[in-house]
Amino acid sequence: MALATALGLLARSQFAQPDFVMLYLLAIVAAATRFGRLAALVTSALSVLAYDFFFVTPHFTFAVDDQRHVLTFLTLFVTGLVIGALADSARAATRRAHVEELRSSILSAVSHDLRTPLAAITGAATTLRDRWDSLDPAQRSELAGAVCDEAERLERLVANLLDMSRLESGALELKREWVPLEELVGVALEQLEPALRGRAVRTELPDGLPLLSVDPVLLEQVFVNLLDNAAKYTPAGTALTLSARAVGDRVEVTLDDEGPGLAPGSEARVFEKFVRGGSAAASGAGLGLAICRGIVEAHGGTITAGRSPAGGARFTVSLPQPEAAPAVPVEPEAEGAAR
Amino acid sequence: MTSSATVLIVEDEVPLRRFLRASLGSAGFRVVEAGTAQEGFSLATSHNPELILLDLGLPDEDGVSLTRRLREWARMPIIVVSAQGREARKVEALDAGADDFLTKPFGMNELLARLRVALRHAAQLGGQPSPVLELGRLTVDLARREVTLDGQELHLTPIEYRLLTLLAQHAGKVLTHSFLLREVWGPGHVEHTHYLRVYMAQLRRKLEADTTRPKLLKTEPGVGYRLKDD
Repeated sequence: MALATALGLLARSQFAQPDFVMLYLLAIVAAATRFGRLAALVTSALSVLAYDFFFVTPHFTFAVDDQRHVLTFLTLFVTGLVIGALADSARAATRRAHVEELRSSILSAVSHDLRTPLAAITGAATTLRDRWDSLDPAQRSELAGAVCDEAERLERLVANLLDMSRLESGALELKREWVPLEELVGVALEQLEPALRGRAVRTELPDGLPLLSVDPVLLEQVFVNLLDNAAKYTPAGTALTLSARAVGDRVEVTLDDEGPGLAPGSEARVFEKFVRGGSAAASGAGLGLAICRGIVEAHGGTITAGRSPAGGARFTVSLPQPEAAPAVPVEPEAEGAAR
Repeated sequence: MTSSATVLIVEDEVPLRRFLRASLGSAGFRVVEAGTAQEGFSLATSHNPELILLDLGLPDEDGVSLTRRLREWARMPIIVVSAQGREARKVEALDAGADDFLTKPFGMNELLARLRVALRHAAQLGGQPSPVLELGRLTVDLARREVTLDGQELHLTPIEYRLLTLLAQHAGKVLTHSFLLREVWGPGHVEHTHYLRVYMAQLRRKLEADTTRPKLLKTEPGVGYRLKDD
């Protein structure tokens, strides 16, 4: 609106008065589409005042010497209101369309990811049921193994969907406890044992790392998702390194892989929902890292992605630990057998 | 040893009952089934099973309260079954007298391992407890207060020793945080889970080759710890 006034003042000599009204209408339209109905209302009112002040004789007063101008003011104001209302409903329609689009993309991603393992399970199980006698033992055990693996994949997907919905609904309550990092990492490694089989997973956790004040069950999920993600997007058999260090009043945990690394520019995007890495072989609804971010941020921490020195991807979880861990009463180390 | 022991399954989901009936039957157990808590309670009284497998999410009565009701007179082991993410419910059920839990979905091996452990502990309850616990690589001599791993004597502090013997006496069974805290540090310290976590970390440093991949001292997330026996 200030812009409209400025332009109007500059161009006063060249244009007739009604043109300035048009300039203000333009400002109102801009405000309405950009900020909604309330902004349109405010802009309309200010436009009328400014128009009166700057462009209606006598200039630079709110006085009006010709009654006809009152009609112009009224028209300007009412037009502004109508534009505001129209813009508002247009915005709502766009938003609805966007939500609708998001919902259908969620549905298609999720149903695809549910159906793929289900198809594999149905196929393997019906083959076992109907062709039992013509299968040799090796084939039977391969089919049975496929059923187990796919069921596990389904289980992780369902767990992720539940976690995501809990994060989104804000129903997430942190039950903070003081926990050593190695216990959290241990639980995650054990849970992912089948997915990580055949890989070297190095853990470099320095002695004397402070206890972390976190929700253990949720933070375990962060490490499960990070490791699962690394297992999915790096070639089988390549090593992973999980390390940690205390940096000031934060504890930083990094996971380095030896895979192809992230596509340049996608480092922030990987934490968005329903964003998956490039590999077509990988499955999952693209929720794992979004959940990681949700949980880490609920703890007041940050999670970032980048390049590891070895060339693969690096994920860094940084958790603030402003409070010193409570003391645990020490007992003297017993000499010889405990008595 | 467990063949022909009777297991009562209290589970409302038919597909799950089907899987349990087939797998337990093939392992030599006799199976009695109930679809509701009411039915489960009356079958427990009429059949006096050696073990009860109880789903916590029954339609007619909360599984925790059924556990409590059964425990008023029944001594047989109760293993509760619940979905992931319901750690608080598992702890409630264990506090109400359940012996162990299984998290859905679970596999046949896990199911049979839990059953074996529970039945073995039930069998030991009547007899004289052995002063020497042999748990694979680990041996705990309660009389001489000696712990050896692969034949090597371990030097433990009194608290570490107390913690390890508790886990060893209940080998294979989950022990909740609050149970371990009460037994080792006393009733005034049940909220101090960090004591337990710090001492478990110390024990792991003495017992495990890699503390992030414990082979013996397993963490049950949100519930407690379990000493693996096999």
